[in-house]
Order: sequence, then C-alpha cells, then structure tokens
Amino acid sequence: MLRIKKNRLLLYAGLLACVIVLPFIVRDPYFIGMVNFIIIYSILCLGLNLILGYTGLLSLGHAAFYGIGAYATAILMTKHGFSFLPSLIVSGLLALFFGFLLGLPTRKVRGDYFCLLTIAFGEIFRLVTQAWINFTGGAMGIVGIPIPEVLGWKIQTEIDFYFLGLGLLGFTYGTLHLLTESKFGRAFVAIREDELAASVMGINTPMYKILTFSIGSLYAGIAGSYLAVYQTTVTPSNFRLEESCLMIIMVIVGGMGNLAATFVGVSVMAVAIEFFRPVPEYRLLIIGLIMILVLLFRPQGLLGAAAFKD
Amino acid sequence: MALLETDRVWKKFGGVTAVQDIALSIEKGEILGMIGPNGSGKTSFINLLSGIYRPDKGKITFIEEDITGLPAHLITKKGIARTFQNLRVFPNISVLDNLLIGRHCKVNNSLANIYLNPFLSRKREKEAEDRVIELLDWVHLADRRKELAKNLPYGEQRLLEICRALASEPQLVLLDEPCAGMNPVEMDTLAAFLKNLRDRGTTLFIIEHNMRFIMSIAERIVVLDAGTKFREGSPVQIQNDKEVQRIYLGEEEEA
Repeated sequence: MLRIKKNRLLLYAGLLACVIVLPFIVRDPYFIGMVNFIIIYSILCLGLNLILGYTGLLSLGHAAFYGIGAYATAILMTKHGFSFLPSLIVSGLLALFFGFLLGLPTRKVRGDYFCLLTIAFGEIFRLVTQAWINFTGGAMGIVGIPIPEVLGWKIQTEIDFYFLGLGLLGFTYGTLHLLTESKFGRAFVAIREDELAASVMGINTPMYKILTFSIGSLYAGIAGSYLAVYQTTVTPSNFRLEESCLMIIMVIVGGMGNLAATFVGVSVMAVAIEFFRPVPEYRLLIIGLIMILVLLFRPQGLLGAAAFKD
Repeated sequence: MALLETDRVWKKFGGVTAVQDIALSIEKGEILGMIGPNGSGKTSFINLLSGIYRPDKGKITFIEEDITGLPAHLITKKGIARTFQNLRVFPNISVLDNLLIGRHCKVNNSLANIYLNPFLSRKREKEAEDRVIELLDWVHLADRRKELAKNLPYGEQRLLEICRALASEPQLVLLDEPCAGMNPVEMDTLAAFLKNLRDRGTTLFIIEHNMRFIMSIAERIVVLDAGTKFREGSPVQIQNDKEVQRIYLGEEEEA
C-alpha cells in the first residue's frame, strides 16, 4: 500500500518537473502557443465534464460562460482600470452566477428540452455581445486589453502565459478532484445514474443540479478571463455554438466522468485540429469522423468511466 | 409509542384511487409485513411514506413529527430509508461508492471545506469511508468493494441495496419485495439477516409476495386490497382468515 503511494508520489513529482522544464526545452513559441490552447480548453472541459460527465446534463451553452468570463475581464481591465487578479475573480463569480441562473430551470425542464434551453442561452449571449455596441464593442469586440500583472510579475511572453495557465489549470484540477471525490461528486454521479434513487439517498437533486451548473460555469469564467488577457482582444466569434460543440466532443472523446481523461480528449482534438489546419474544408468532416469512431468503438471515451446514456 | 403513524392517507392517480384511507402504525423495533394482491397499492403506499408521492389527504407522522408531503431527500434525512422492488443500485459505480452515496446525509463535509480546507475535506471523506467499510465487512462484501455494482450476482446486488439504505443509519427501513427473484437458500440468508438487523434496533416495514418468507419473519401483517386496509393481525391470524384466503391466497391457487 505504502509502496503504491510512494510510486504515485514519484509519478506526480516527475510529471510536475516535466511540465515546468517543458518551455525551456521546447522554445518554439508556436508549440507553446498550442499548449496554451490546450490549457484553456482543459480548464473549460474539466468544468464541462462535471456537468456533462458526472451529472449527465447535456449543456450546449458552455461557450457563453467562457464568454461571460472573457468579456467581464476585458471590460473591467480596459474601462474600469481593474488589475488582472480582481478581474479574474469577478469573472469567475459572474460566470458562476449565470450558471446558477441557467441551472434554475433544471428543476422543471428535462433532457432534450433543457439542452435546447442551453443552446438558446448561448445564442442570446452571442447576439447580445454583437448588438450592444456601447458595452461590448459589437462584432469588433474589445481590443487593447492591458498586459496582466500578478504580484509584480508581468505576463507577456508565451512562456509567461504558459505558467499562468498552468497555475489556473492546477487550481481547476485540484479543486475538481477534491470535489468529485467528496459527497458532492458522488451525489452528481448518483443523479446521472438514477435520479429517483438519488433523491431517496437523501440527495437534494434539484439543488445539486443547480450546484453542478454553477461550479462548472465558474471554471469556464476563469478560462474566459485567461483568454481575454492572452489574446488581448475578445470578439463574439470566440464564443459561438461551434465552440460549445467542440468542448463537448473533447469531453466525450476523452471520457465522461473522468477528470484525467479530459486532458487526453482535449489534446487529441487539439492536435487533430492543428494537423488538419492546411485543409480547412475537410477539418470539420475529420473532427466529426473522430467523434463517430470514438462513439462506435469506445462509447465510454478513450479513458472514460460511464457510457453516454440514451 | 409508534415510530411511524399514517392517519387516513389517500392517493389518487386520475380516476384510480391507489391508496384509500389507510391508517396504520409501525411500532419501534418490530418487523411489520404488508401483503396484498397485485395492484392493491402496496408500492404506492411505500412511495407515500418515503416522500416520492405526496398524499392527497391524510397525515404521516414520524417520531411525533408531521412529515406529510416532505420531499424524499428530507425524509431520508429524518431517518427513513428504503429499497426498491425492481433493484435500483447505481450500476456503473463501485460497491463502495454505492454505499457512500447511501451515507450522503451523514457525511459532514461542505463546499467551504473543499475550497478552503482540503485536508479537513479529505479527513471527513475518509471517516465516512471507514464507517461504510465496517458495514461492508459485516455483510462480507468488503473484499468486493472496488467492483462495479452491476458485476455482482443478483442476490448480492439485493443485499447491496439494503446495505445502501442502512448506510444512512436509519431508524426505519422500508423494503419493497426484498426477496423477489431469490432462490430459497438466498431467502433464508436474507431472513436471518433481517432478523439480526431488527435485533440491533432497526425497525423494518416489508412488502412481500412470498408467503413463506413474510410469515416467518413478520410479527404483524397488514393486508391491502384495492387500496384499502383489509385486515391486520399476527401471521397466524392472517393465515387462518377465510376472507384473506379468498382475496389473496385463493387467487394464487387459481393461477
């Protein structure tokens, strides 16, 4: 037992060391940029996995929470002189609040109908950002988001952003890992497996569904905030329905109900997207094909715990 | 003093009256059985007690507290656990996690712990796990705790479902046909297990079709017919009741 624990510890330490030295070995900014893309989507998909994989709620509006976080940071930093850390916190909490609001209808609206509701929410968000020019800059978005600074550390290069992203990803994975291994995580799984039985186990199922939505959205808000300072611009086209779909594909390909699998799903899809960039007209076709192959041969995802239920 | 009392409880579904004017009491520390032909409202009655349905009329009292119309999760919290007629363990998760979910209300953890005090959160979860493993040890399932629930044999899944109910440390357990689909040997094991449970102070309310089983463990039996309470008495009284034989046992002979 102790031996296994020791091996595990060594594995984690090794992994951490690799992750830290990585940008100093591979100095190619293109490569680091791609890793940063994977980090953003990992944060997003870990939160989405909580909603979709653990609790079993299909949400096609995740990009909207991502956008709420991004716009909150963009507006606070360009128009109200906020620094990065407070903006990050406000962005996360704001996404959490909207997640809570969108979670409320889960009490009455179920399954496919709820899914439609999340699509509508995502579209409303995108259209509002396009139309409310005074506040969000319309289709041009918000440009010139200042360089973020954390405790005197100016975050400018790809490598700086890599470490910032790694910190946020560590927070995301750490807290979600604790959450999923606690009574809360088990309650989410119980709701996915059998909602009626879950309620008889003493689980307040309506409350827990709202909770999963709020928490999952919090991380999307954090990812959005990171995107805003990383890109230095935000536009409505960052948060289309396609983004939500891509996140869902990543979660499904990796494995629903398994946090570590999310990294696999995100990496596989990110590499596929990069690889087929020269042939944009076939890219969606190939992404679709990967998805179909995974669902046919490994419906539980590459590393997943639970198969997609009806 | 009665542990649970129902006072003239009614439940209608459209034009069908599933439960009609039922008044009964479950005494602390007893095994109360309920029998009745198919469609006589037994499961509906358990659903009323466990908060899955709300009664249209009447009152349910548990330890001198009115629990009428409370949602299921609060009723479990008050100390009433149940099992289902058609086995409802959580199939795709481990035996251990099934029991930990059963223990949900007793796990003293919070979101604040998770985000602000991870070590305390870990400790609380570990405590819950230890308690649940004790329970698994008692029923000799401890070495199978990592297996997925759906991979256990049928009889053990039934046992697992009962243990999941016990994990919340309930005062009263409602069992809906616990030995459906079991062979005679498994039934005897279950009967011994349930008696042992009663001796440890848990009150049991059991719906069962199998006469041999229910007559051997229940101290009192209630007979339902068409949603109403038809008879109540000791197993011997019920077995010798001509009217009961006509509505229930007689029907079985014809079939």
